[in-house]
Amino acid sequence: MANRGGAAQRPNSQTQGKICQFKLVLLGESAVGKSSLVLRFVKGQFHEYQESTIGAAFLTQTVCLEDTTVKFEIWDTAGQERYHSLAPMYYRGAQAAIIVYDITNMDSFGRAKVWVKELQRQASPNIVIALAGNKADLANSRAVECDEAQAYADENGLLFMETSAKTAKNVNEIFLAIAKKLPKNEQVSGAGSANQGRRLVESDSSAKTAGNCCK
Amino acid sequence: MNEEELLIRAAEERAIIVNKYAHGREEGAQIDPWEDPQFEIYHVTDRYGFIHDERIAQRNDKKQIQVEMEREKKWLKMAKEWDHHKRSPEKLRRRVYKGIPDSLRGTFWSRLLNLETIKQEQKGKYEEMRAIAWKWSPDIRQIDLDVNRTYRDHVMFRERYGLKQQALFNILSAYSVYNREIGYCQGMSQIAALLLMYMNEEDAFWALSALICDKKYCMHGFYIQGFPKLVRYQDHHDKIMNKFLPKLKKHLDRHGVDTGIYTLKWFFQCYLDRVPFRLALRIWDAYLLDGERVLIAVGYNLLKLHRQQLMRLGMDDILTYLQIRMERSEMDDDIVMESLQRCMEELKKAKLHYPGPSPPDELPKMPFGTFTEPTFEQKVGRRTSELTALERVATESVVLRRQQTEEQLEMDQLSPRPPGATSNGHHRLSHISGSDGGNLGGSKFSFDPSIDDASSLVSRRSLADTSVTSTADLSVFSSVTRSHAQDNSLDTHSNVSDESSGPRAITPTATPRALTPQPSAPSPDVVRIYVPYSSPSPPSPCRQNGDLPPRSLPCPLTSDQNKLIIKVDNNSQEEQTPIVEHGHLVKPFQLNSPEIDLK
Repeated sequence: MANRGGAAQRPNSQTQGKICQFKLVLLGESAVGKSSLVLRFVKGQFHEYQESTIGAAFLTQTVCLEDTTVKFEIWDTAGQERYHSLAPMYYRGAQAAIIVYDITNMDSFGRAKVWVKELQRQASPNIVIALAGNKADLANSRAVECDEAQAYADENGLLFMETSAKTAKNVNEIFLAIAKKLPKNEQVSGAGSANQGRRLVESDSSAKTAGNCCK
Repeated sequence: MNEEELLIRAAEERAIIVNKYAHGREEGAQIDPWEDPQFEIYHVTDRYGFIHDERIAQRNDKKQIQVEMEREKKWLKMAKEWDHHKRSPEKLRRRVYKGIPDSLRGTFWSRLLNLETIKQEQKGKYEEMRAIAWKWSPDIRQIDLDVNRTYRDHVMFRERYGLKQQALFNILSAYSVYNREIGYCQGMSQIAALLLMYMNEEDAFWALSALICDKKYCMHGFYIQGFPKLVRYQDHHDKIMNKFLPKLKKHLDRHGVDTGIYTLKWFFQCYLDRVPFRLALRIWDAYLLDGERVLIAVGYNLLKLHRQQLMRLGMDDILTYLQIRMERSEMDDDIVMESLQRCMEELKKAKLHYPGPSPPDELPKMPFGTFTEPTFEQKVGRRTSELTALERVATESVVLRRQQTEEQLEMDQLSPRPPGATSNGHHRLSHISGSDGGNLGGSKFSFDPSIDDASSLVSRRSLADTSVTSTADLSVFSSVTRSHAQDNSLDTHSNVSDESSGPRAITPTATPRALTPQPSAPSPDVVRIYVPYSSPSPPSPCRQNGDLPPRSLPCPLTSDQNKLIIKVDNNSQEEQTPIVEHGHLVKPFQLNSPEIDLK
């Protein structure tokens, strides 16, 4: 794990620990459940008829890791191919990405691979990429084998989990795994500039947002 | 039926009713759901058909209903003299902005869109397209996915494969083959659904078609590959923000919420789902009457009305506000619409009310309604992994906008500020604004929080007025330019500038006197000079608002790397602030030796 506690810590914030803020983007084919994963993670809800995302939506959620609080700024993007050209606006400067496919749809897995390639080529070099095989509750109609996806993820150094926004399976887990893998020290910087991406937040100013994490 | 039969029927009927009361609500009792107060849909459905999670408080809007009934009479009268009202629409306009009565909305929307004429001209075309679509449309899969999640909280679209879902599917599929340049773009399904709430299937199809190809609305440019109209409208929105709400713009930019992030859904769906539905209907009334300029004005109006709240928020909350809270706003719709009209006037005075007619790249190129068999790739839904040239332009523009905003912010941070000055405090930012229209210099005047108020525009203009006749302290200038010379990002800016369509402003580092806060009073010490910061070659031609070429990414300059050219932009006719002093037009300030070496 990345070294912790090395970065600037305000003397009066020791009890709170360090708060890191990361930009995370969700990408993937239309209707694979990107918005649903976020909604489950952020609000614990699931809508059967989650409306389609036009452009992108933004949400935040905070998770706690030992002495560090990780705040995700989540950009949930539109899945239709037409919107692909806008994606760089959202993944630019992102430190993490979840690429989502639908385990009942082989095409969406193919599409996920294309996203992986694009991120490897265009996004920040240190971006942490996770692959999520969503709709795991529909395993009866599975079209993508878990082993196949796992093998692909291993080859490409991706985190991988099969998730279900409906049953909440592995939803928190995948975000947590990303949080663990993200570097918490100040040296590494993403492609974004001062305004985009990871930054250390003064603990006292963010105490409010950290309220809903593991305590 | 003879007497005996009648008696038998009456007896049976009586027995059934008596039986129902005798058994009351015990198990097995058959109660028509519509007769029972437990039939929640009565209580959770609003007047527009949306089903809510909780019961709706019965609002005491008897007076409102009364008003609407009165209006209905007036509108029906107006319908009889429709041709007259269309020719001289003052009264019509006044009434449209007060809201078309909901019961007549479908009728008048159809009239505003000229549906009768279109249908006459295109008899049989809709059925033809629908039949072709069922057989051939390559967008069926995406349309199906979206019909399944469009306004499922509305009574009409609640039932899977219900009548209105069928209609929605049909018009979107038919349109996908009617206009093959668009096919289907996410965002269209909500518009089609809205139309279906007020019209039948075929009318809704032609209404959608009018919105997309009629030059009054021209939504075609929004939905085609690369979204060229979106980019153009966002640029225009930026111009308005810089001129009228510079402080708010700076605040949003500083929190990473630039125009590219929040305006897409506004423009693509004409504010559906971003304002309360009842207000969206009012906006749509205006949109159908006045066309695309309404899109621009509403954006400005909303930000102006909500600016005080927005100014208090950080990134997360700004986005929540724009995405969710604005939709739940309790602000009175009449107030919003009255303000909208004032905004339209204000923008008109500033010649910013209309981003101009659609340039050729936003217009349909192929004829509508002709059938060609889809290619193999389209049929099987295979994607090209590479972006097309058009899409690359879109990508570049969105990334560029973001970069420029960030660079602008970095420059702001680098520039010297009075101690203790914060974004909200009284301060003067001093730097060169070298990026595109998204970062005009208006905000450099934002030393007073009240400056975002349109009323303070007068004082801002008078600032500009005084500037020319004041003695420009050039030593101040040079210090400013030097401080920026260290900033490499200037190089990036230099090339972008010939895209620029507006003037640039430099506010020199505040002189000590000007540091004293002087709310709204024009300070004679302020110098405002427009600096179109352009690369030496080729000279940037003057462009009209609507004719901005596709943007391109900046590339490094090969020569004159550290030279900043300052000249007074006499070419930019449309945006130049007229310089008037004591009622006389003053000749613009000229710098004869235009180059200042930054080294």
